[in-house]
Amino acid sequence: MREYFNCAMDIGEQMLICGAEVHRVEDSMERMCSALGALRTDVFIITSSMVVTVHTADGVLTQTRRITGIGTDIEQLHRLNALSRKICAVKMTAQEITADFNEIKNSKKYPFWIEVVSYIVIAGSFTLFFGGGMIEALVSMIIGGVLRFLVHFSDKAELNKIFSKFICSLVVSFAAFAATKIGLISDIDNIIIGNIMLLIPGVGLTNALRDLLTGDSIAGLLRIIEAVLTALAIAAGYFLFICLIGGSTI
Amino acid sequence: MISREMIQIFTGFLGSFGFAIMFNIRGKKLAAAAFGGFISWTLFLLLGFVTESEPIRYFIVSVLISAYSEIMARILKTPTTTFIITSLIALIPGGSLYYTMSNAFRSDLSSFINNGIHTIQLAVALALGVVAVTAFTKLLYRFLGIKRH
Repeated sequence: MREYFNCAMDIGEQMLICGAEVHRVEDSMERMCSALGALRTDVFIITSSMVVTVHTADGVLTQTRRITGIGTDIEQLHRLNALSRKICAVKMTAQEITADFNEIKNSKKYPFWIEVVSYIVIAGSFTLFFGGGMIEALVSMIIGGVLRFLVHFSDKAELNKIFSKFICSLVVSFAAFAATKIGLISDIDNIIIGNIMLLIPGVGLTNALRDLLTGDSIAGLLRIIEAVLTALAIAAGYFLFICLIGGSTI
Repeated sequence: MISREMIQIFTGFLGSFGFAIMFNIRGKKLAAAAFGGFISWTLFLLLGFVTESEPIRYFIVSVLISAYSEIMARILKTPTTTFIITSLIALIPGGSLYYTMSNAFRSDLSSFINNGIHTIQLAVALALGVVAVTAFTKLLYRFLGIKRH
């Protein structure tokens, strides 16, 4: 049971890291543990930690996992979910589960250049979406591409996430301002909005409100605080920019 | 003639597609997620004929898109989140959030409050729609006696 329990913990932890809602992970943990032979399962999850206790025929097991970074990797989440279903449906040995799990953990991601293109497309799209013109969209696309590199370097440097958003927002504002100075565009609003869509914690906020409204209040509150802090960091970057260019010139 | 609405629908679709790639969604799921972005904004614009109120339109679109996500999730055997987060991207009030913050720094208090309240209304309408459908689906499954995982 000990090995099985460890496998289930690994899967649950990885699901959280890939951006699953708390409710989904708690549900999966309970199902997996009871399929693996637990008589009773108590799961407590907040976004930064999970505690699971199972009662088995030969005793009680407890594990705690600390979750530090949360991202969004739907492909991995999909496969983890499929694995947890499989565990409930057929009898698997601990070795088989571990092998599957390791394979999923190394599942492929889109290559870097596609991610850069996706940033470019998103930034350009939303500039047009919120009413920008063609030239504004082009400027926005360039900034969006640069933003992906900026995110890459801040990830490499293991920069604090909130601080990284602050820097990104500052760079976006300055780049948009520079484009107005050289006379490419007249209005920075739509360019900043297009790029802000890339920084905004939209998923975080949606998940936060979902957690909160489905009854996982603590997890929801933590996520809301995280989302609000991120939004404030973006606002702070913009604010610093306005101060640096001398107040109300825009 | 290309209208503003057509541009919005197309760029909304592209935006969802971009985010779907950013979130590492692949294959059929990618197509379904991007298509969700297309229908979400189309529905939002169509609802404009029925009601002026943006929060109400947000709520209805959110309910419909969540239903779409639940259905696609069952067909493609994947978590519902996949489709919800990508399809609703265009409805995330990024624009009004930006204007809220811009107003704050320009010390334009009344616009700040108006935009701020508007942003919160939209975000809550969006989340409520999602939660309502999640709750309803759970109820439906219990009623039909289907075990869902």
